[in-house]
Amino acid sequence: MSAEDEVSLLVIVVDVNPIWWGQQANREPQFTLSKCLDAVMVMGNSHLVMTRTNKLAIIASHCQESHFLYPCKLWKFGDGHGDENASTSGDGKYELLSVANDFIAEEIKNLMSRTEVKGNQTDTLLAGSLAKALCCILSIKMLTGQEMKSRILVVKAAEDCALQYMNFMNVIFAAQKQSILIDACVLDSDSGLLQQACDITGGLYLKIPQKIALAQYLLWVFLPDSDQRSQLVLPPPVHVDYRAACFCHRNLIEIGYVCSVCLSIFCNFSPICTTCETAFKIPLPQVVKSKKKKLKPST
Amino acid sequence: MKLRVQLQCKNLHEYLKELSPEILDRLYNHPATCLAVYRELPPLAKNYVMRMLFLDQPLPQAAVALWVKKDSEKDHDQCVSVLSGLRLWHSQQLQGGLQGNILNPVFKDNLRIALLGGGKSWADQGDSLGPDRHARDVESLDKYALERWEVVLHFMVGCPSAAVSQDLSQLLIQAGLMRTEAGDAPCITSAGFQFLLLDTASQLWYFTLQYLNTAQTRGMDLVEILSFLFQLSFSTLGRHLREFGLVFQRKRKSRRYYPTRLAITLSAGVSANSSSTAMGATPGTGDSGFIVVETNYRLYAYTNSELQIALVALFSECLYRFPNVVVAQVTRESVQQAIANGITAQQILHFLRTRAHPVMLKQNPVLPPTITDQIRLWELERDRLQFSEGVLYNQFLSQADFEVLRDRAQGLGCLVWQNVAHRVIVVSPQGHGEVKRFWKRQKSHT
Repeated sequence: MSAEDEVSLLVIVVDVNPIWWGQQANREPQFTLSKCLDAVMVMGNSHLVMTRTNKLAIIASHCQESHFLYPCKLWKFGDGHGDENASTSGDGKYELLSVANDFIAEEIKNLMSRTEVKGNQTDTLLAGSLAKALCCILSIKMLTGQEMKSRILVVKAAEDCALQYMNFMNVIFAAQKQSILIDACVLDSDSGLLQQACDITGGLYLKIPQKIALAQYLLWVFLPDSDQRSQLVLPPPVHVDYRAACFCHRNLIEIGYVCSVCLSIFCNFSPICTTCETAFKIPLPQVVKSKKKKLKPST
Repeated sequence: MKLRVQLQCKNLHEYLKELSPEILDRLYNHPATCLAVYRELPPLAKNYVMRMLFLDQPLPQAAVALWVKKDSEKDHDQCVSVLSGLRLWHSQQLQGGLQGNILNPVFKDNLRIALLGGGKSWADQGDSLGPDRHARDVESLDKYALERWEVVLHFMVGCPSAAVSQDLSQLLIQAGLMRTEAGDAPCITSAGFQFLLLDTASQLWYFTLQYLNTAQTRGMDLVEILSFLFQLSFSTLGRHLREFGLVFQRKRKSRRYYPTRLAITLSAGVSANSSSTAMGATPGTGDSGFIVVETNYRLYAYTNSELQIALVALFSECLYRFPNVVVAQVTRESVQQAIANGITAQQILHFLRTRAHPVMLKQNPVLPPTITDQIRLWELERDRLQFSEGVLYNQFLSQADFEVLRDRAQGLGCLVWQNVAHRVIVVSPQGHGEVKRFWKRQKSHT
């Protein structure tokens, strides 16, 4: 029962890449962004309902920004009473949940309507959203000063962006240091970066076979926290692609050159490391020195 | 020596298990109750409920058993028993003849409503009343709640200034916390003493349970009361409840209820270990504890609340009283008197620990070990002698007779004590009849 006093924070990062979701609406009209967000809200509600001390945050990861869908910055965390004039739900829903859900719906509508997608920025800013999530977790830890178990759940739609490799890895290692689990729920194509994230931090990775059943998958697999996960039978870990990306082109390579000073990886040899600017000594072919014969002193 | 009756503080689940199935089903017809019951489940059971919440068909029991890993089978069994005991799970025959489990449909629907919306609203909405002209903020609500609760406790201790309604004193009597001699004012019982030394959350829960037990005799509907209670604890929002300090109602007639912190604590769950941070403050003392215990058995209570002083005086001798301090000494006589009244050493120590001054809290352990050990030893001193009733058999004519009877009594399991040298045995009263018959038969044989 003492675990009841422990605060458990769940941060859900939802990929709302408008290009992918727009294409998705043509491919499968029965599963759109609003259905996805419904499922995410069910998951969030279930998490809040589990224990009085559970907290929730939701971040929308867009091409141009990462935006907090819940909670609003003006509120204290978990206290959904920002607006005194907000009417109560009027139906049987738990008040805290209805306030939260209404707010999330408002925010995502504003986000999607105000951002315009410019031509070359088509990738989701996932690494940035994860970094924001980490900052959010840290700020709550400072605020409450209590022991906290936190985890991040990433709902991913679009493909990976290799340009974000470095930032991603930094985020993953920071999360590992802070004992924050990163779970991944992948809707479409497998993501090597997220597989690595889940493997390193100890979270769960799942690629969903049927998108329509997203809510059910979220509740079954991602709702239990780390204590309960040790008791339940959950999907086994996948084989992880640990190939690194080279620093010059961001291609995934298996064999490459490593700087001996800063350990950055390159696919082609270059005499100077671009990260730490060390000049490498290039090994020249050996020159055989002729032995000087000792002249006999002539008599 | 009269037997000491320990106060039993049941938690929510144990209470619900005792209710009849029809009442339970009616109770589950309200989203707030379902939420409260759900929150009290063990974590694994919560996951089970969540998984089955959106399924409409029963799941085979074998499949459910596969949800846990091999090492956690005990937890699985415990969950199954909890869920069945609360009638959240029903067993149903599946088509293949297997046994299946399905969530109680009433519970399922209402938990879904609580999660997702729909259904009726939880209470008459306060919206129609317009903004409150006399809105109270959280602090004054807290103060009010604590005041009211303290009045109840004062009444129990017997302070003349406290006055409560007839109903409330009846309730206290029925709960066994006080008793009334013919025509006299009620006085406190040993159970009442134990009650006083509990922490506020447990007191509240015990009291509410007693109230619920008597509610049916008053003709009030148990289901409605319980639903209202749970609703209170979940809302940011009872005649008798007003008295307990659970709700604040400006006048008897006004329609608004403000749930106070006490009410919210109520559903935060009361189990032996829960310590809700909101109620860490004890009544009448401000935010922190106020008792300092020294290793020379002196006790300093920095309070001027009558109630707290009366409580401290239950188990210690008050030496001096100043405007803001009471100096008391914990002696053998005072502790043994308290124990004679039915309080246990554990309760005294719990009382001291929960109201310990912040300076005391810095040291580890909080109370000096000399004091804790000594209080326990004083309690054990009273237990050196254990009384059990029995019937004495002596003046046996021969050793053989004695041995025959003794073996017979031992065989029956009612032999309490024997002394072979003096040929004396003591038999328990239950076994006395049997042994006597045996002896008569024996005598008629020889």
